[in-house]
Amino acid sequence: MITIDVLLPQLFNGIQFGVLIALLATGLSLIFGMLGIINFAHGSLYMLGAYSVWTCMRMLNFPGNFWVGLVLTLASLGLVGLIIEKFLLQRMYGLPTVYQLLITFGLMLVIQQGVALVYGTAPLPLGIPSSFEGEINLGLLLYPTYRLFTMILGLATIFAVWFFIERSALGAVIRASAEDSETARTLGVNTRRVYTWTFALGSALAGLGGGLHAPLIGGLQHPIGTEILLICFMVVVIGGMGSIRGALLGGIILGVVRGMAGIVWAPASDFVMFAAMGLILLFRPQGLLGRGGTR
Amino acid sequence: MKAGSGQEKGIFAEFLPLIIMPVILVPLYFILPSKMMAAEILIMALPTLAFILLLGYTGLLHFGMGSIFAVGAYTAGILLARYQVHIFVAVVMGIAMSGVVSLVVGYFCIKRGGLIFSLLTLAFNQLIWFTIWQWKSLTGGPDGVLGIQRTGLDLGVFVINLKPTFNFFIFVLLFFILAYFFVARLIESPFGKVLMGMRESELRATAIGYNPETFKWIAFILSGLICGLGGSLFALHQEYVGEHLANWFTGGEIVMMALLGGVFVLPGALIGAGVFIFLVDFLNGFTALSKAGAWLLVMGVIFILLVMFLRGGIYGGAEKVYQILTRSRFSRHP
Repeated sequence: MITIDVLLPQLFNGIQFGVLIALLATGLSLIFGMLGIINFAHGSLYMLGAYSVWTCMRMLNFPGNFWVGLVLTLASLGLVGLIIEKFLLQRMYGLPTVYQLLITFGLMLVIQQGVALVYGTAPLPLGIPSSFEGEINLGLLLYPTYRLFTMILGLATIFAVWFFIERSALGAVIRASAEDSETARTLGVNTRRVYTWTFALGSALAGLGGGLHAPLIGGLQHPIGTEILLICFMVVVIGGMGSIRGALLGGIILGVVRGMAGIVWAPASDFVMFAAMGLILLFRPQGLLGRGGTR
Repeated sequence: MKAGSGQEKGIFAEFLPLIIMPVILVPLYFILPSKMMAAEILIMALPTLAFILLLGYTGLLHFGMGSIFAVGAYTAGILLARYQVHIFVAVVMGIAMSGVVSLVVGYFCIKRGGLIFSLLTLAFNQLIWFTIWQWKSLTGGPDGVLGIQRTGLDLGVFVINLKPTFNFFIFVLLFFILAYFFVARLIESPFGKVLMGMRESELRATAIGYNPETFKWIAFILSGLICGLGGSLFALHQEYVGEHLANWFTGGEIVMMALLGGVFVLPGALIGAGVFIFLVDFLNGFTALSKAGAWLLVMGVIFILLVMFLRGGIYGGAEKVYQILTRSRFSRHP
């Protein structure tokens, strides 16, 4: 018998997971929309973010170290993205997009195995940060404070990115470069720099997602990135590539569907995600909020 | 340096690979460090061949080759271990099953072109892996399929024992040559020309009156059949089938093999599989590297360097060197 007591926390968990995935998918979508690259290393950057927060919380022993860890993670992952774009991807523009996909695939292997080499393969435990322990009363249910916090911070970040891209002056430059890079260049935009910073922003978002999720995973292991990457891809297929709102919608749909199916039969939660993706492909191949076209 | 720019050949030239290949490949068995390695290289060259048919000739990056390979391996393995069917029946069923799965997966995947296609193949790869993992009564779940025997190949008149590595190598070699010849003929056929035309310009091919979706779908299924052959033979080779085969990483290994050898030419499959398997074996020989999968780190670095500097793979590189050598000779005699 499924009661409201079971249903409601699962629904919230589904939304929480969905927001987290949407955070990653936003970065993925941003990079795809701008550079036309499907970033296979995105999951690895997420994993790097999680390990970075773990390291910060180990090294820094004072209250509020989680916040410092998050900020450091954002900065360092942004830097990693910057380096990747400058030294690897920038040489690949103008080649068939397949090669860019392949290079990020190689990068994924290197990052993942590099982390395995440095941190070992045993799971690294990471508890909920002390300032977010306990539960909060939402009227209908008691919900863990930390989960609520990740939900709010995730949504705020996605909104901020959306506002930045769609409403700010700098965002207009980014969109212009994505739409028609040649014209943008003619008008004096340094598109090369726009590419670099977009990739850095996308990487930072992946790192933030990893950092936020890290305390909920239980034990950090180096393959966590690939599992999340596949779910991200599905979100992007469902929501529509290159759309931030699509990423959010797709993420929440997938998260809720996954959580709900998990109540009925645990293994079903993965199958249902595939089914959702299959249905979208059959009836709306460009994704829910996609702009159409095959790219 | 795209594939298929060859000119018309005579009948003899077309059948030449059939003669040359055994001459080159049989000595390989004696040279390689381990007696099983030669057969493994030929087997892994099959999915790589299927991958090259899709990427090099059709322009589709199939990231889920591993799962199709695993479907073939599981089908053959289960039939052999539980129902003791004839080895040929198992192989044929493995091929057929991979074809059927490719038919379904391909139907969904070709709906989206370009990079989304790759994502979809990856997603379906995970779906198949997950099914194998969960369906314990059929596949054995995490335990895999045990008790596959390749001792008796009944040919009616006499029975050949495939257990000795050389016998099995010859058995695999025959299948490999058959498959290779099939693909080589395919890309020279009008069908192959349409595929290559679509790779160059899908719009133009559509304008002439070809439906790209149908052609891509057929190419997808054909590659699935070849991949299934590889899987069936792999079940016989290992005498065991495990779920790790369906893991997306197997597909990734196939991608690496193809890029290593050369993605625009069919011999690239053989070169790539050979060098990859030899290299992995070599790297794992160092205890420092086999720990924590550090050999994978090395392969990742090699892969990135390949994509950046040698996109034609080893074959393409050799071709370039040859061109430079011949050009310099001409420049000396202007």
